[in-house]
Amino acid sequence: MTILGDLGAASFLPWIRRHADRLGLAQTVSHADDERIELELDGPEELIDMMEVGCLLGPIDVWVETIGREPLAVQTS
Amino acid sequence: MTAQTTLQQAMPHQAPPHQAPPHQAMIDEWYPVGLVSQLDRSGRHTALMGEPIVVSGDDAGNPLVTGGNGRILPVKVRYGHVWSSLGTPTKDIFSIPEADQPGRRFVDVGVVRVRCSPLRAVENFLDIAHFPFVHTDVLGAEPHTEVQNYTAEIRADVDEVWATQVKFYQPQASKSASGGITTEYMYRVPAPTCSVLYKTCPPRPSEWDVITLFVQPLAEDLCDVWPWMALFDDETSMTDLIHFQQMIFLQDRSILENQIPRLLPLDPGMEIPTRADLTSIAYRRWLKRHDYTYGAQLVAR
Ligand SMILES: [Fe+2]
Repeated sequence: MTILGDLGAASFLPWIRRHADRLGLAQTVSHADDERIELELDGPEELIDMMEVGCLLGPIDVWVETIGREPLAVQTS
Repeated sequence: MTAQTTLQQAMPHQAPPHQAPPHQAMIDEWYPVGLVSQLDRSGRHTALMGEPIVVSGDDAGNPLVTGGNGRILPVKVRYGHVWSSLGTPTKDIFSIPEADQPGRRFVDVGVVRVRCSPLRAVENFLDIAHFPFVHTDVLGAEPHTEVQNYTAEIRADVDEVWATQVKFYQPQASKSASGGITTEYMYRVPAPTCSVLYKTCPPRPSEWDVITLFVQPLAEDLCDVWPWMALFDDETSMTDLIHFQQMIFLQDRSILENQIPRLLPLDPGMEIPTRADLTSIAYRRWLKRHDYTYGAQLVAR
């Protein structure tokens, strides 16, 4: 999941961790700067949907412009 | 329509002293403060964002709105209502082109006082997932509780929130509907406490019925809700149209007055919003973007 916006506030990464924990999603932040966060999530599609919807609003001192999703390349045959 | 509490009873819930947010962005907006059809010389003694105001009409029917210290407030007449502002609005009242369309009936539903945040009243109006549970057998019914996928966005060109392709099975979608139909909706938020709903119009499939929710913020947790409609319906009596809509809003009121927290959270915090909540999320994102925070709770508790 790629989150773009004004993400500089220190509150956001802990917020992401809490929200993912509440959904029971395994998560890894693979990149984080003031404009972009790359988040790897593992869990059911519906819960990842909920993670996306929650992050769109996020904490008050963060502005999320867009969220992009792409499946992680884990399945090769 | 409902027993009006007096201003003294109505006003104790002003902004809590521990927070003093600026609210300037919302002060400079237009709000509904009364019905044009009910203007009189003695005036409606009411409030706007914690300030007592009086909405009256002169002998010629011109509206006059005065603020707490007698200052004259800006005033406009639109969509059957008188609109005013405590600040200096930089924009005109949002447009509803259907209000100028011949053949529609315009319905002043009246006022419903609700002990809730004005933003919560709008958010509830945008929520279709509650239809089967709150408006059971009217706007929704079990087992048809699933919200199909729809689109919700902040439209940058008009700076409004729009939700489209909202489809829902309804046993009795409107006063003129007989039997259940799948109704399509569009929702629009053009001002922080106003929403316009476009809804399938059974007698005229090419048109949309318009139902609005104009909310007057009395305090951060108290509001007067003024629904208004522009419908194609030549058959139903005005009384029946008003009663139908009032019944719907009274069902909403009992839900709204029990919501916790009372203010609308702008951080999802303890909630887990889902796809069905995308319109609420878009609305709250838009409020946050514009610092429309009167009636909002900024930090999750
Ligand atoms: Fe409702």
